[in-house]
Amino acid sequence: MSEQLIGTAMRRIDGRQKVTGAAKYAADHPLPGMLYAYGVYSTVASGKIVRIDDQAAKAMPGVVTVLHHGNLPTLHRTPNAPLNVKEILHASRVDEHRLPFEDDGVYYPGQFVALVVANTFEQARAAAHKVKVEYQAKDAVRSLAQGLKTKGARDGGRGHKRGDPNAEVGTQRIDVTYTTPVEVHNPMEMHATTAWWEDGRLYVYESSQGVLNHRNLLANVFDLPPERVEVRAPFIGSGFGSKLWPWPHAIAACAAAKVTGKPVQLVLPRAQMFTTVGHRPDTIQRMRMATDANGKLVSIRHESFNSTSTLDPYTEACGVVTKNLYSCPNVLVSHSIAAVNRGTPTSMRAPGAAPGLFALESAIDEMALAVGMDPLKFRQLNLSTTDESVQLPWSSNHLPEAINTAAERFGWHQRDPRVGAMREGDELIGYGMGACNWDAFQVPAEARVTLRSDGSALVQCAVQDVGTGTYTIVAQTVAQLTGLPVDKIEVELGSSAFPPGPVSGGSWVTSSIMPALAGATRQALERLRGYAVAASGPFADGDVQALTIEGGALVNGEQRVSFADVLKSQKLARAEGRFQSGMPVNPTHSFRSFGAHFVEVRWDPGISRLRVARVVSAIDVGKVVNPLAGRNQVEGAIVMGLGMALFEAGEFDPRSGLPANNNYAEYVVPVHADMPEIEVILLDYPDYNLNEFGARGMGEIGVTGLAAAVANAVYHATGKRIRSLPITKEKLMA
Amino acid sequence: MTDSSKTVNTFTPTVEAIETSRRNFLKFGASGAAAVTLSGVLPGMAAQALAQPAVIDAHTPKAGERRIRLTVNGVAQELNVATNAILLDVLRDRLQLTGTKKGCDHGQCGACTLLVNGVAINSCLSIAVQHDGDAITTIEGLAQNGTLHPVQEAFWEHDAYQCGYCTSGQIMSAVAILQDPAIGRDDASVREAMSGNICRCGAYKNILAAVQSARGKMARVG
Ligand code: FES
Ligand code: FES
Repeated sequence: MSEQLIGTAMRRIDGRQKVTGAAKYAADHPLPGMLYAYGVYSTVASGKIVRIDDQAAKAMPGVVTVLHHGNLPTLHRTPNAPLNVKEILHASRVDEHRLPFEDDGVYYPGQFVALVVANTFEQARAAAHKVKVEYQAKDAVRSLAQGLKTKGARDGGRGHKRGDPNAEVGTQRIDVTYTTPVEVHNPMEMHATTAWWEDGRLYVYESSQGVLNHRNLLANVFDLPPERVEVRAPFIGSGFGSKLWPWPHAIAACAAAKVTGKPVQLVLPRAQMFTTVGHRPDTIQRMRMATDANGKLVSIRHESFNSTSTLDPYTEACGVVTKNLYSCPNVLVSHSIAAVNRGTPTSMRAPGAAPGLFALESAIDEMALAVGMDPLKFRQLNLSTTDESVQLPWSSNHLPEAINTAAERFGWHQRDPRVGAMREGDELIGYGMGACNWDAFQVPAEARVTLRSDGSALVQCAVQDVGTGTYTIVAQTVAQLTGLPVDKIEVELGSSAFPPGPVSGGSWVTSSIMPALAGATRQALERLRGYAVAASGPFADGDVQALTIEGGALVNGEQRVSFADVLKSQKLARAEGRFQSGMPVNPTHSFRSFGAHFVEVRWDPGISRLRVARVVSAIDVGKVVNPLAGRNQVEGAIVMGLGMALFEAGEFDPRSGLPANNNYAEYVVPVHADMPEIEVILLDYPDYNLNEFGARGMGEIGVTGLAAAVANAVYHATGKRIRSLPITKEKLMA
Repeated sequence: MTDSSKTVNTFTPTVEAIETSRRNFLKFGASGAAAVTLSGVLPGMAAQALAQPAVIDAHTPKAGERRIRLTVNGVAQELNVATNAILLDVLRDRLQLTGTKKGCDHGQCGACTLLVNGVAINSCLSIAVQHDGDAITTIEGLAQNGTLHPVQEAFWEHDAYQCGYCTSGQIMSAVAILQDPAIGRDDASVREAMSGNICRCGAYKNILAAVQSARGKMARVG
């Protein structure tokens, strides 16, 4: 090992492609003879298709075919098994199990009811508007409240109980209910598929966070051996969870390519990004807490309800952090679900924890106020020192330091605790804080590292770079272990033909692939050492163990031979290593990442303007492999957290259940002008209990706790406790 | 995937506004003053624009089609397009210039931003046939002989992206904004002016840093 590359801020190796427009996303492959598909989507929330009249559409110029439930060849479902991370490299998961066009039922608005395939995009789009669909509409379940009332709640699992949470203990109590709306991932790149068949094989460019899972799914759906399907996603216009598991469009496009015998491209319109590719469901969370006379928590009950679809059960596990962030002897966490006529929800960045920590960290603030303590001191008093939900020590938990460091940078000590006491000009100033928290995982992954006789190395893994910097992190890791310069490391990701890699989710990519890369690199180096000491090798009959690695060369004392020359001496092109890493077995620690957000809001009551002016966050995610890309991840998550706090809510017409703001103008996300000053402090304590590099992953944690910090700051400025997201000016003026 | 080439900022503006495009300035609502200033940033097109166009379609237009000539990144092209075809789709599907992205198709996200006669527009809102005779610069046309435009270089240096999908649009807007005397140089003005370009990854802080640092480099060159 030579130069320290792991931990170095380094610009991305795929940067030139991204800034020149050369990076190819799923819809950037105009193939010869390619057809374009455009969907027809249900305009009722519940019902039955009575008739589809496609005559006018078929008569339009360029139209090749119109597919629907009446004429699509038989497809097959994928097994309906819950996610088992141990088996993640064999997964073939979906969240919505029903196949597109499976029957004449309509289960949610925006469901695919037909697909027009034509020679050009313009022709397909024009013809799609000519397809007439007659529905027999049924009364739809249009909201979570209605679902709970009419169908009742089902247990959503993932609960927790310890002590006696129902006992009326403590001297101070709160009993409050928080709500969060439907949130929509809305990655910039709309879901897209480019598919073609060749000699009984299926090839797909898909906007996917999991090419391997996607391949396995398509193999099941089209009854093919997995080797006959290849799914590629060299670049993804991000996903935030919406592209983890395949959705109906992906299957529909492959079916259209099969039926027509031509390549087919299907891009979802933005409106359908709100209906048929998942969303974060709305939640209702009742939170009861009690403390003793000294302000120590003695009881927490967190009961969460979320909407799911009528097709599939989906649990937004809001209480998973409640069970162990704070020390408390009596805890109850429960999740219940109720079906509504919407598409199936799915994981959205920090699923469960994002809405869950809005409730938990708001409630902690309310509890601190009830006992008359500073919210920071109240947290410090009550933070857990072990994971009390599983009775294991934390692998590495620097939350107290994160809170103190961020508080100091932020200037928390200047906070006047009285409501509305801080002002500047016309603006009331509020300071609020919230803890953030997310899982740390290592899941199985496999990589291939090939040292080549031209002095370069090729690294391959069926994992994806969804924008987090994975290409660069892979190059840094292999460069560090071989001593080759980063620009000699060629990285290929995002094809199911490469050694199996996990879906890009759960913030586990970095922590999972680094051990696989290390294993593969070491194996390649071992092979190379073997060649070096072979009879005709440069270190013939030498001691293999004595050969060290330095700057892309094997070294023994004075003698130094580059990898390339070792290979050339044997007339070999390559030395290959391939290694599959696993996951911690019988872990002796509990692994999570920790952090704290401090937020300054400004409320101008004269013009009813609320803005977030400043965010200071300190994050403990283990070793930070590339601080440039890593800080960017946390900043981006903070931006999404601001959207959650102030703007984002998927709305549905209360009469029809149809989406009401399914576009980028009315579903408001943060833009440049909304940006506060953001400062992110990365604590950088390696977590060697998790893996040899000490890296835990950082894609999701930043979005958690931020909305609560904003709500707490809003209370401090205005005296209004907003318990329902987003915090709009209407709610403040009410 | 590897790229270690050091890029020197030798960017030189080369172009004057192109005659045939003048009439479209008003049609698309851009101010003449802005357009004249902005034309300075269009890399090498005037010379090639006069050359023989590359003929994409030799046949006469079919019913529902019109024949148009576009000068794209300095290369003149002649093709038949459907009268309902959108400029963004024509560039991506017909000319295979897929660097310009589609994020909404409704003028709400900025992913499709490019320059028409030096003016930044949302190409998803523009009918292709209205651009007959226009000079168009896309993300693919910014670098000159492999040398990145200062804005591209700054985006790379400052990690002003994550997934990269909004990046083409952000860069094209930044190029236009940095040349527009009506837009202030301070951070708040840049944020305001860039607000038509959504970055769902939230790389706004780095994008702002990139735009401001490119400003310095462009000024030094110009
Ligand atoms: S695609 Fe043109 S503005 Fe969104
Ligand atoms: S970099 Fe992903 S949307 Fe901007």
